Amino acid sequence: MNNQLEAAVLVAVLFGAGTYLMLSRRFLRILFGFLIISNAANLVIIGVSGDPTGRGTGTVGEGGPGNAVDPLPQALVLTAIVIGFAVAAYLTVLFYRLHADRKGTSLNTLYAEGQPGTAAAREKEIDS
Amino acid sequence: MINNIPGLCVLAPLLAGLFVMLSPRPSVARRLFIGAVLAALTTMAGWAVTHVMAEGPLVLRLGGWVVPYGIVLVMDTLAAVMVTVSLFTALGCVLFGFADTPVEDEHPLRLPLVMCLMTGINLSFLTGDLFNLFVGFEVMLLSSYALLTLEVGARDSRHAFPYLIINLVASALFIGACGFTYSLLGTLNFAEMIVRADMLAGDFRLTSLGVFLAVVFSIKAGAFPLYYWLPGAYPIMPAPMTALFGGLLTKVGVYVLLRIFGTVFPVIEGLQTAFLWVGVVTIFTGVLGAVSQYSVQRILSFHIVSQIGYMLLALGLPGPEAMAAVILFLIHNILVKSSLFLVGGTILRVNGTDTLTGTGNLWRAMPILGILFLMQALSLAGLPPFSGFWGKVAIAMAGFNQGEWVAVGLAIAGSILTLMSMLKIWLGAFWKTDPAVPVNNDGRARWTVAVVALFAVAALWVGIGAENFARITRHAGAEAVDRAGYAANVHGANSTVYEGKQP
Repeated sequence: MNNQLEAAVLVAVLFGAGTYLMLSRRFLRILFGFLIISNAANLVIIGVSGDPTGRGTGTVGEGGPGNAVDPLPQALVLTAIVIGFAVAAYLTVLFYRLHADRKGTSLNTLYAEGQPGTAAAREKEIDS
Repeated sequence: MINNIPGLCVLAPLLAGLFVMLSPRPSVARRLFIGAVLAALTTMAGWAVTHVMAEGPLVLRLGGWVVPYGIVLVMDTLAAVMVTVSLFTALGCVLFGFADTPVEDEHPLRLPLVMCLMTGINLSFLTGDLFNLFVGFEVMLLSSYALLTLEVGARDSRHAFPYLIINLVASALFIGACGFTYSLLGTLNFAEMIVRADMLAGDFRLTSLGVFLAVVFSIKAGAFPLYYWLPGAYPIMPAPMTALFGGLLTKVGVYVLLRIFGTVFPVIEGLQTAFLWVGVVTIFTGVLGAVSQYSVQRILSFHIVSQIGYMLLALGLPGPEAMAAVILFLIHNILVKSSLFLVGGTILRVNGTDTLTGTGNLWRAMPILGILFLMQALSLAGLPPFSGFWGKVAIAMAGFNQGEWVAVGLAIAGSILTLMSMLKIWLGAFWKTDPAVPVNNDGRARWTVAVVALFAVAALWVGIGAENFARITRHAGAEAVDRAGYAANVHGANSTVYEGKQP
């Protein structure tokens, strides 16, 4: 349990940075924000599973149970990482689609008045 | 052998979806195949409901692993009922799509994605552990992201963005919640969590975990104040997909809230009260949003939020009676909500728009559609003898018996507002006569009306045969809150012998 404070601080920093990026208007920053947040969430699982000696494990390593690591959080994280990849891929494609549809790379173009790609929409894009 | 039914409910839609992708072009054969698979699965799940009610839950240990360590699929009455209703809804929506779109215009990926969506939904209903619930949710959400933007035009693609971002954040929080659960309880298996959560009952850490999970699933269910991703996103899809999403996706969130806070966790007092009042506020924000809208699909989308409020309200009342009421309301709401969206789709098809200023003449042109709409709209508002009446009566009775007069009174007031916005659709689309509005009542429109009638008959059956359904939901409710019984059933699966091998 002695390594949990560092993990907690790291998770807090990553969640904070990810949230900050996701709240910005540029597509690229939102994408990076999502990647950071999903990694922070994976880190929560690894972080809280923590100390291998605290809990009995499913497998026993050489030199008795003391040297074994609980395998379940690792399996969970592996699954979560794969799902995170798929979602990140979808998010990238959606941003490309929004760029193609609205001719912009920030949220201002999504909610600008008038038709997509008009002068008003592009001006708002430049202002941001 | 029979224990494999839960596995089949998850695996069959996935395999059917993949199999269909082998023929990349839409064809009649593909449509027949998917229709047949969904019809067969619905029948099987319906039979499983009667079997589970008589014989007790079906538990499948995947790979034959011993219970708290391996993955289990658990089909109790609640899960079986939800699987049946959602497969039936999927069948109806797919049939509506067949009627609405000619074969050559169908998007080649629509059917495979619908089948993947059903895989995720069924896995979420049947899973016996928290992490598989996450996997089920993600399968469902990824398919829903894809379906949402599959056939959307350039004007509307931006509405997919809030839907995606909110759900991504909720998923990240869900992974975090899995981690905290594992660190606190040392297991993610529901049955084992029941046993260990009881040892921690009243502990501050268990309460915080409960609140964390409640927030995650409230986002998925679309509860106030976490609902705003929903009403904008759903109407951008073609009508049958809107009906499928509107009928099912938020209800999966509600089901999980039932499962987690009815079965897995012991009663957490403060959280129950929070659900009750969040429910009341959700009813009013949803219904007032609906009153302010001027297009059929958007009005109905806000009503999804409002109806979720009733379920949350009943979730805030502990005990089997309220649980049975939520389940009855869920069955009613899935059927009625989907069919109303399909009525909206038919209006869109016949009038060329679903904005209430551009619709009209429908009562004269299509009286049958008008009658079907009235039936479902009155059912949604909760008038007898339709299914919504019994759902709301059950919730109101549960509330009165527990002395929650104010909350139930407000909920009933919300029903009147529901009726008001339904009247708005009725006046704008059916009653109004306007020679300028085109009425394109072709052969396809007749088939779409037939599909709506299928739903209306099913919903009417829930209303008129309420005694039967109340019996099922009472059984399901009692079983869902019988926490010790659930744990015993799942642990008891260890005595099942697979292929002669004792674990």
